[in-house]
Amino acid sequence: MKKISFILNGEKRNAYVEPNDLLVDVLREKLGMHSIKYACGRGDCGACTILLNGKGVRSCIILAIEVDGQEILTLEGLSENKLTSLQESFIDHSSFQCGFCAPGMIMSATELLNKNPNPTEEEVKEGLSGNLCRCTGYTPIIEAVLDVEKKDVDKK
Amino acid sequence: MIMEDFKYIGKSVPRIDAADKASGKIKYMSDLNFPGMLFGKILRAKYPHALIKKIDTSQAKALPGVVAVVTWEDVPGLNGFGIVTPDQPVLCKDKVRYIGDAVAAIAAETKELAEKALTLIDVEYEPLPVVDDPIKAIQSDSPKVHDDGNIHLHTKVVRGDVRKAFEEADLVIEHIYCTGEQEHAFLEIETGIARIEEDDILTIYAGSQYPQRDQMQLSRCLALNPCKIRVVSYPVGGAFGGKDELTIQPILGLLVLKTKRPVKMVMTREESVISYWKRHPMIMKYKTGVKKDGTLVANKVIIYADTGAYASLGGPVVNLAIEHACGPYKLSNVDIEGYCIYTNNGVSGAFRGFGVPETAFAIETQMDIIAEKLGINPIELRKKNALQKGDIAPVGNKLTTSVGTVAVLDGISKTKLWKEREKYLVKNTKKPWIKRGFGFALTYQGTGLGVGLPDYGGAILRFCENGGFEVGVGLVDYGQGIGTSYAQIAAEMMKCPIDKIKVVLGDTALTADSGPTSASRGLYLGGKATIIAAEKMMTVLKEKTSEMLKVSVDNLDAENGYICMKNQPEKKISYEEIAAQFMKETDHLPETEGYFLMPLADMKVENAFGLPHHIFAFSAHLALVEVNTLTGQTKVLKGAEVIDAGDVINRQGLEAQSEGGFVMGMGYGLFENMIIEKGIFKTTNFSTYIIPSAEDIPSDIETVTVTDPEETGPYRAKGVAETVMCATAPAITNAIYNAVGLRIFKLPATSELVYTLLEKKEEKCNESTN
Repeated sequence: MKKISFILNGEKRNAYVEPNDLLVDVLREKLGMHSIKYACGRGDCGACTILLNGKGVRSCIILAIEVDGQEILTLEGLSENKLTSLQESFIDHSSFQCGFCAPGMIMSATELLNKNPNPTEEEVKEGLSGNLCRCTGYTPIIEAVLDVEKKDVDKK
Repeated sequence: MIMEDFKYIGKSVPRIDAADKASGKIKYMSDLNFPGMLFGKILRAKYPHALIKKIDTSQAKALPGVVAVVTWEDVPGLNGFGIVTPDQPVLCKDKVRYIGDAVAAIAAETKELAEKALTLIDVEYEPLPVVDDPIKAIQSDSPKVHDDGNIHLHTKVVRGDVRKAFEEADLVIEHIYCTGEQEHAFLEIETGIARIEEDDILTIYAGSQYPQRDQMQLSRCLALNPCKIRVVSYPVGGAFGGKDELTIQPILGLLVLKTKRPVKMVMTREESVISYWKRHPMIMKYKTGVKKDGTLVANKVIIYADTGAYASLGGPVVNLAIEHACGPYKLSNVDIEGYCIYTNNGVSGAFRGFGVPETAFAIETQMDIIAEKLGINPIELRKKNALQKGDIAPVGNKLTTSVGTVAVLDGISKTKLWKEREKYLVKNTKKPWIKRGFGFALTYQGTGLGVGLPDYGGAILRFCENGGFEVGVGLVDYGQGIGTSYAQIAAEMMKCPIDKIKVVLGDTALTADSGPTSASRGLYLGGKATIIAAEKMMTVLKEKTSEMLKVSVDNLDAENGYICMKNQPEKKISYEEIAAQFMKETDHLPETEGYFLMPLADMKVENAFGLPHHIFAFSAHLALVEVNTLTGQTKVLKGAEVIDAGDVINRQGLEAQSEGGFVMGMGYGLFENMIIEKGIFKTTNFSTYIIPSAEDIPSDIETVTVTDPEETGPYRAKGVAETVMCATAPAITNAIYNAVGLRIFKLPATSELVYTLLEKKEEKCNESTN
């Protein structure tokens, strides 16, 4: 076991991990971050997407030991105080059916909007192309992301 | 009934679970952990077809940290499960029939130990010849997957005189159609956790589509009184039919009984793919006869369906394919037969559409060919033959419920895609190798389980102290949104705000048995049962109010959470006060139950499971495609669905089904196919089995509804969860024909297939010019 320390959702956390422990397992099982979903185990589907130093990564293909000293944001951290405009937009557009892809989808979309607050439809599709959804056909998800900017403008 | 009179019905009510899904707070069964839990693992077969000579678990048992190793010897009850025929062993004894067959299972202190222990189990096999071709499998000299042969079911429906009708036909079209093996690819893999809870109740938390049937099957396998088993199967991260049958539950239960500790089991994607259900690959021989004026006169169809190693729902799938083989068209001379065939190619079972997407591809291609050959407008051809209310359906039942065939066909012209198709079809002069085409297809889908099977909806309504209600329905919301629809129905019926309704689903301890969440039946049957339970509850509330106000029940009305006097609406008692009164008098709150039996067709098809059906939803699917003739790749640019759902309960929910169904149908049509060679899976994850991503979808999927109200339905609604995906593939392949003049007889129409066909076509062209 090796002790690692990192910032998880704004808080310093420690964990004792084996060198072969996957980040997805440590975050889900040891630290209770159950929003992160395991669905393919090889970085194909995006359900386990988290932000590592602000960048979207697949936690199922990262060893926990690699994140020592780094900063992680999960859906739990994103909506700690209140839902973001993006999450509200997901609700308004009914962007869920089974909802299992939603946490990864929202994290990828968050990264996309952080980098590019005003994406085109093509940019949204490209940005979310690594997150699979089997239920919705993606349309309400894409609409939700495209609608966020409008929502934020409306609020102002 | 005018929709505007309703507060919730017919409105785009947001999903009741949306906030929990947006925040990540919702807990799926795979998110549950219990203190002291062990990790379970399953040893799968080494060969797709082999005799088991010996199983030696001694080394695995001796590994420190291994708490239990179980084999067939440890199954206390029936070592078999299966919805129709329990022919699949929980753990194999003397034979394995597919590569995902379970041979042994381990419970250990850690996942790693469990995995290590699997490698220590020594199984001696004697490999047998692999049965991998369904047509060869039914020959008498084929090796047998099961002792009594490889034909699980043969059903034949004959009406009229096909031979004479073909003689009288002006045109006979004959083709063989093949469809691919589609994987459900739900994101939440089969995963669960189980433990012994209070009162010695074995409680299984695992995503499924019918907890009460799981309870029955588990009681059979585990030799346990069903009262001692509780199954919780909600929420579920996608199912689409793939969680209708048992998956990991019997082994999970067995390991808990053996160890007396909680056990968690998480499949990998690869294990899920090789072990569990798929859509049946089918080979369908079609011969269709038609008069010059477009009147269909005869249809002869033979369907060969590869059900893999075990029955599960293979029989009913083949039967539904037979019922829908002629499409929603009038045909009085039919000869349709179907074989459900055992092979060693994995296992096939229930999948959204349940045999209909397969036959829709065949019949809708036939119709497109006929329209072209006879020079008849393809919509007019379909309209000419369209089934209407009062007609006899191809398998012989009289249609007395709502039939939206013509309404749906008329609705095509209302779509933007239809109106603007000419504009989109302009030639690409800059890139002449890119060709565009438009196509459409029509389909329908029976609701419910059909004649001969128990088919009912059940709901419990519990009055709560806050004056709200809890609806308990055994069906499962695995994404469709039925929970939201039940909340809408309960709020509308009980005349209370929707936020006072709590919905509980899929739990044998808390909900009424409402049959399986399948067959597009959830909204219809769960909705009807909720209405009945609510009617009873309203009577109970009014009776109590009548006592409290000392007025007759007839003078009472309900409004916005109050029971009030009809003539003096200011004289009223809130539901909360009524609840308080119940508590004061009896110290408990009333609950009511509603049960509803599915109306049935007027006849029965023999040698079949659940044929025919009585209520159908209808849809037309439209596609605009672009085919790259240099690569063979097809891109769907725009899509549309015209749907007859009866009266719509939730517009947003319906659109969600339509869009999701279209994209799933697109995957089926263009690239999804599980490749299995000699019983071994070659495409076991999302790197090799490709499902549509955000970049593959059309820029627009339009949903147009046409209403043919179903008088027996809840608020005159019908379920559409399946019909929305059934005719997308043929709409696309008909569009490919329109674009490049290629008929597609095999799904999926991959780039490779289209490219190869285009090359052949060019060769033929060159040959004829030389």
